[in-house]
Amino acid sequence: MRAAACLGSRYRGDDAVGPLVADRLRAAGATVLDCDDEPTRLLDAWAGLDLVVIVDAISSGAPAGTVHRFDPGGGALPRDLGLASTHAFSVPEALELGRALGRAPRRVLVVGVEGAAFGMGDPVTPAVDAALDGVAAEVLATLNEEG
Amino acid sequence: MSSSDGPSTREIRTDYLARVEGEGGMYVRVRDGEVDEVQFKIFEPPRFFEALLRGRQFTEAPDITARICGICPIAYIASSCNAMEAVCGIELPEQVRLLRRLVYCGEWIESHVLHAAMLHAPDFLGYAGAVELARDNKPLVETALRLKKAGNTVMDVVGGRAVHPVNLRVGGSYRAPSRADLQALVPELEWARDAAVEFTRLVATFEFPDYEQDYAFVALRHPGEYAIERGRIVSSAGLDIDVSEYEQHFTESHVERSNALHSTLAGVGNYLVGPLARYALNSAELSPLARDVAAEVGLGDVVRNPFRSIVVRAVETVYAADEALRIIAQYEPPEPSFVPAVPRAGTGHGCTEAPRGICWHRYQIDGEGVILDAKIVPPTSQNQKTIEEDLVGVVRQSLDLTDDELAHRCELTIRNYDPCISCATHFLRLEVDRA
Repeated sequence: MRAAACLGSRYRGDDAVGPLVADRLRAAGATVLDCDDEPTRLLDAWAGLDLVVIVDAISSGAPAGTVHRFDPGGGALPRDLGLASTHAFSVPEALELGRALGRAPRRVLVVGVEGAAFGMGDPVTPAVDAALDGVAAEVLATLNEEG
Repeated sequence: MSSSDGPSTREIRTDYLARVEGEGGMYVRVRDGEVDEVQFKIFEPPRFFEALLRGRQFTEAPDITARICGICPIAYIASSCNAMEAVCGIELPEQVRLLRRLVYCGEWIESHVLHAAMLHAPDFLGYAGAVELARDNKPLVETALRLKKAGNTVMDVVGGRAVHPVNLRVGGSYRAPSRADLQALVPELEWARDAAVEFTRLVATFEFPDYEQDYAFVALRHPGEYAIERGRIVSSAGLDIDVSEYEQHFTESHVERSNALHSTLAGVGNYLVGPLARYALNSAELSPLARDVAAEVGLGDVVRNPFRSIVVRAVETVYAADEALRIIAQYEPPEPSFVPAVPRAGTGHGCTEAPRGICWHRYQIDGEGVILDAKIVPPTSQNQKTIEEDLVGVVRQSLDLTDDELAHRCELTIRNYDPCISCATHFLRLEVDRA
C-alpha cells in the first residue's frame, strides 16, 4: 500500500503546502495519513506501508514555488530544509525512530515546495499556490504507479 | 557547536537546541570565572493570536486558540472556555466539567510522556535523542509511545480528535461520549497507570545534578482535587487570588532580546509554574497511588531541584491516568452536553494548568458576543525569567565542565521546563561566552 503524509499548518503562510496538497489528494481518492502536528503519530500510520510520499513546505533559499524531490533511500531525511519544522519531534526523527523500532515504511520519498512566507496568518505566496496542482498530480501519479 | 579561545574570552555556541517545542536561543557570558550575564532568548516571531481574535465571535476562541499549540491544545481550549463561561455567567454541571477534566488528563499524559520519555530522558541516559535511545532500549521507547497514545486516545474519544480537538465548546461539549465509549478506554488506561508507575521508578534512578533553587511557586489550587481545569491562583509566598485578579499581581514586560514577554509577581519577582509548582502546592491532593509512588521514590513534600522535574512529570502521569479512571468510573453522560452560552457585554478570565504550567486568558466581548480584546499569558513566558536564573545558578556551579559538557548541562536545564516556546510567542541557539 502507498500513501501520502502531508505536513504543515494552514495558518502559517506557505507552511500550508502540505494541507493544501492533501485536500487535492483526498479529493482524488488517495490515502493521506493523518498526523496533524504530531509526527510520532506516523509510526502507527505508516508501519508496513510500501511507500510513503511526504509532502511539505521547504525553506532552503531557492525561489518560492520551486519543487524539491528527494529519495533518501535507506538514509536519513535532510533536517536542514525546513522538514525539521517547529515541532518537538520532527518527521526525519520520526522516520529514524520508526526504523529503529521496525515501524517505518519500506520506502520514503519527499516532495517539497519552496515557501517564502511562514508567518502566522500570512497568505500563501502566489508562486507556491501555482505549484500545488502540479505537485498533487505528481504525487498522485507516484501513489498510483504499479508495484 | 564551535569554540574559540582567547586570553579573556571563551565562547561556546550551539546553533540549535533540539528537543524543545519551538525556536529560541541562549547566551551565557562568563568573565574571570564568574557568570556575568545569561539571556534566554525566544525569537519565534510574535504571535498575533490576540489580534486575530479581535472581531471574532466569542464561541470561536477555543478553536482558534487551540491552534497555538499542537501539544497542549486542551489548555488553550479550556482556559478560553472558562473565560467565556465567566462572562456569560455559566456554571458547568458536574458531569460536563468532568468531561473537560478527563480530556485534560489525556493531554497531561501525552504531553508529559512525550517530554519526559522521548525528549528529556535521553539527556540523563547519555543519548543524543530518542532515536539513539530506541536503538539500545526499544522496550522503553515502545512503552513511552504506547503511553502517549493512551493519552491521545482519551483526547480522540472525548475531544473528537487528538490534535486540536473539535468536540469542545464554550459551555461544555458538542456531543457527550457514551458510557461505553469511555469504558472502552479503561483497559488501556489501567495499563497506562501501571506503566507510569514503573516509568516513575525508572526516572527516579537517574543521576541528577546537585542543584536547588528557592523558587516562588505559582499554581492553581482547588479544594479536594489536584487542580487542573479550575481553581484559584496561589503561590508559595502566600498569594491566593481569583483568576480575575491576575493582572493586579502579575506584570508582563517586554524584553528586547525575546519575542515573548517576561512575567513577574509583585513583591516576589520571577516565579515558577508547572509540575514542580503544582507538586509543591498541591501534592496532598494527589491520588493515594500517585502520593505513594512519589513517597516511594523519595520526592518529599517540595522538589526544588529542577532536574528532578522529570520525576514529578512521571508522578503527574500516574495521577492523570488514575484520575481519568476515577472520572470514567462515575461517568453519567450529561444531557444536554453543554450549557447554551448567551453573550453579554463584559470581561471574562480563565486559567487552567497546562502541562507546563498555568495558562491565563482574558477576553472582553460585547453584547453580540464579538471579541473586543484578548490577552493570553502562556506558561513558558511566565517561566522564562526563572529559566535564566536557573542557568546562572547551574553555570556558576558547573564552570569546571568542558565546553561541550557545559553546553549540554545548559540544554538540560532549559529542557527541565518542557518549554513550549512556540506557545510563548521554534530551535534554540546556545551561546556560552566565557573568559
